[in-house]
Amino acid sequence: MTKDDLISRLKTIVAPYVQDEEAFKSLTEDTDFVKDLKINSANLVDIILDIEDEFDIRLENEDMEQMLDVKSAMTIVTAKLKE
Amino acid sequence: MVGNDIIDIAEAKISSNYKRPRFLETLFSLKEQQHIYNSNNPFQTVWRLWSMKEAAYKLYTQGSPSRFYNPKKFECFIEATFGIVKFRNFKCYVATEITLDYIISEARLKPLTLNSEVVKFNSKHLQNQSEFLKSKLIRSISKKFHIPESELAFKKNNYGIPTVEFNEIKKHISLTHHGNFGAFAIS
Repeated sequence: MTKDDLISRLKTIVAPYVQDEEAFKSLTEDTDFVKDLKINSANLVDIILDIEDEFDIRLENEDMEQMLDVKSAMTIVTAKLKE
Repeated sequence: MVGNDIIDIAEAKISSNYKRPRFLETLFSLKEQQHIYNSNNPFQTVWRLWSMKEAAYKLYTQGSPSRFYNPKKFECFIEATFGIVKFRNFKCYVATEITLDYIISEARLKPLTLNSEVVKFNSKHLQNQSEFLKSKLIRSISKKFHIPESELAFKKNNYGIPTVEFNEIKKHISLTHHGNFGAFAIS
């Protein structure tokens, strides 16, 4: 899977929870789920569970700790897919 | 220092589903899960515990500036009239108020009575809500400390932790919003 593929799959996952559509349109690796997309912290868990379902992986508590932006999500998913 | 968190009950019903697989296991300790399953109102218990964890996290990051997502490790203990949340060697007290419309929790290092001021938004627009809440906060601090609003500066550090500053003084504050409700607390 290329980096672009990964970003586009993550983009589809976060879309339903986004509260700042402008920031979503210009989403990059540096986009922060909370600060930029204004996703409510109560929905971060949904993003984590959706990522688990989409990539058929399971995340540990330690994996989730830094899951606050696109880049961290990419790093964690990539690492898990290699396991 | 103070942390708070509000849950709009109608919003929680629409935008979250605590019954989805692995939701509870991901956010709550085994003891908390038992507490939820044994309660008369699991929905309310889920969001009460969640707001306690969030309020405690906001308080914790004021003392130890950082940013992370680990709600499961903020473990809640509910006593008769108040709650306690523990995270590693950090411990705080949490007061919670539950109404028909919202659940609000406020966390402090010492036992407390809930001081958060709740605001109902007219606008659905997040930016407007946040400006409205901030203006209410500034007005309240101005009154409380007898300082003109123009001398109060709202700031956020790199971790997104907010303060209001005036005359070399830095006041810790906490802001929260969810759905149609918001609240602020001043330390």
